[in-house]
Amino acid sequence: MIKLNKSNYFYKIYTWLPIIILYLSVLNEYDLNYLNIEYFSFNFPLILIFYFSVKGYLNFDYLLVFFAGLINDTVIGFPLGLSSLSYMLICIFASYLRNMTIRPHLIKDWFYFLFVISLINSINFSVLFIFFSYDLDIMFYIINNLFTFLFYIPLNFMFNYYFKAIDD
Amino acid sequence: MASSRDDFIIAIRSAFLKKSTKQKFSLLTLVLVSIVIIILSNLDFKVIRYLKIGINEIVYRSTFFVSVPENFIKNSYFSVQQYSNFYEDYKKKIAELKKLKSENISNEILKSENIELKELIEDYTLTKNKILAKVIVDHKSPFLRTIIINKGTADRIKIGTNIFDKSYLVGRVIEVNYKSSRVLLLSDLNSNVPVSIIPGNIQAIITGDGVNSGKIKYTKDNLNESIKKQSIAYTSGTGSIFKSGIPVGKVSITEKDILINFYSDYTQLKYVFAEVELEIKSDTDDQVKLTTQTNTEKIKINLLNEELDILNDSNVKLIEKNSYLNSEKNLLNQKIIDLQNQILIQENKVKQNNINQEELEFLRLNLLYSSKCQKSTFKKGYRVGTKEYKDCIFRRGKNIND
Repeated sequence: MIKLNKSNYFYKIYTWLPIIILYLSVLNEYDLNYLNIEYFSFNFPLILIFYFSVKGYLNFDYLLVFFAGLINDTVIGFPLGLSSLSYMLICIFASYLRNMTIRPHLIKDWFYFLFVISLINSINFSVLFIFFSYDLDIMFYIINNLFTFLFYIPLNFMFNYYFKAIDD
Repeated sequence: MASSRDDFIIAIRSAFLKKSTKQKFSLLTLVLVSIVIIILSNLDFKVIRYLKIGINEIVYRSTFFVSVPENFIKNSYFSVQQYSNFYEDYKKKIAELKKLKSENISNEILKSENIELKELIEDYTLTKNKILAKVIVDHKSPFLRTIIINKGTADRIKIGTNIFDKSYLVGRVIEVNYKSSRVLLLSDLNSNVPVSIIPGNIQAIITGDGVNSGKIKYTKDNLNESIKKQSIAYTSGTGSIFKSGIPVGKVSITEKDILINFYSDYTQLKYVFAEVELEIKSDTDDQVKLTTQTNTEKIKINLLNEELDILNDSNVKLIEKNSYLNSEKNLLNQKIIDLQNQILIQENKVKQNNINQEELEFLRLNLLYSSKCQKSTFKKGYRVGTKEYKDCIFRRGKNIND
């Protein structure tokens, strides 16, 4: 594996990589929607935020996550503050899990993640439907929830490699 | 039990309030700020509106640049897909071209008629102009179908401005910033478009299905059964949200719904047209009015000239067809006379043939029965050559045959 010198710029950029990827993903929406697979979509930022919050990564600044939420709302066209609220709630739940868990277990984290994203998507749907009168297809939310849940495991392995590179 | 409850409370408190060494705000603060922003944006608070416009301006531009690599991959993917379907597309296009050529003349006439009718309903009384806008963000969110264009209030774009791809309607502006705007596509679940479906002139409202087409949400007088496959949906102009007479899409009927297949492919939009209203200054009002009137007159004359040309063309074609049909008619008449003559000759021949056959039959029977019908000194009969003699011969022959 490539070793990074802790004093150079590459290392500093590397330590901020999760936040950079988060910003790129909210600006660009890496969700492969253009493949035109019916109903296929997943929420990459939710996986990223949950993973790094559970790990308690120091460079994962909540304020920056909050701003990422504002940008996401702007790009998607949702009311301002809704994604920020979702991201903050994920951080809270992840932080709670971190404080409560002595020995982390991937499968337990995974199902806890399912509970969290289901709750957050429900809140999102309710707020948009009740307060902002948006017409939304609940099927999209359910499928999005499912794919986000399924993509957690492969992305989890990828992020583990990221941590390994830092520790080395 | 008590210690597990304490752990739970400590964990909750820690999750909400504890700041790590690098965190500047606690999560609870940020959650509260988010909720305040949501409430204020629901109330359309001025500060939030300006904040949103500011963020929009920065984010839309950034998104455009950040999306360059993904767009490159996306476009490459579409190019490969297009190349693979090239031959099939070519065959389809040739068939379509043949069909379109045949429809072209009638379309020209309809077009001029349409322009004339639009003038009659004074749809062109407002001076309107279409400006070209570039699509800077077209990410297909799974929840909302919108695009961002690079024109805003600086280019006279307003909320509700109609957006076109060529001459087809694609949506309307729902959010406007100084140099960018968000367009709600017709395929979005929140989009409602009043349309007329032709043939039948059925008034309906179509809404997006959240993917790439629309479906009929409501029809006036529940005329759903009258809607036919391949009917065409135009905007009706009801409610003044969209201008009337803009083509929207074609009808396709499934078991569950009546769908509208939009003419434009919303996944491939790169440039669109926004219809903006031009302001006319009051100091040169009369002059402008005069110019506008002259322009309108010119347009009318041009239209009439075009219509006249089309009518002349059709007329010439009709005259040609007429003379051709006349010559055909003459030829057919001549043929009829010839055939009638032939029939007469045939009839005469048949008649002659019948007579000859009768004569032959008489001669044959005469050989057999002449002795029985002939008048002699000792026998009552008929004189040879008389009609009675002939009848007698036939009668005898008939009796024998029976």
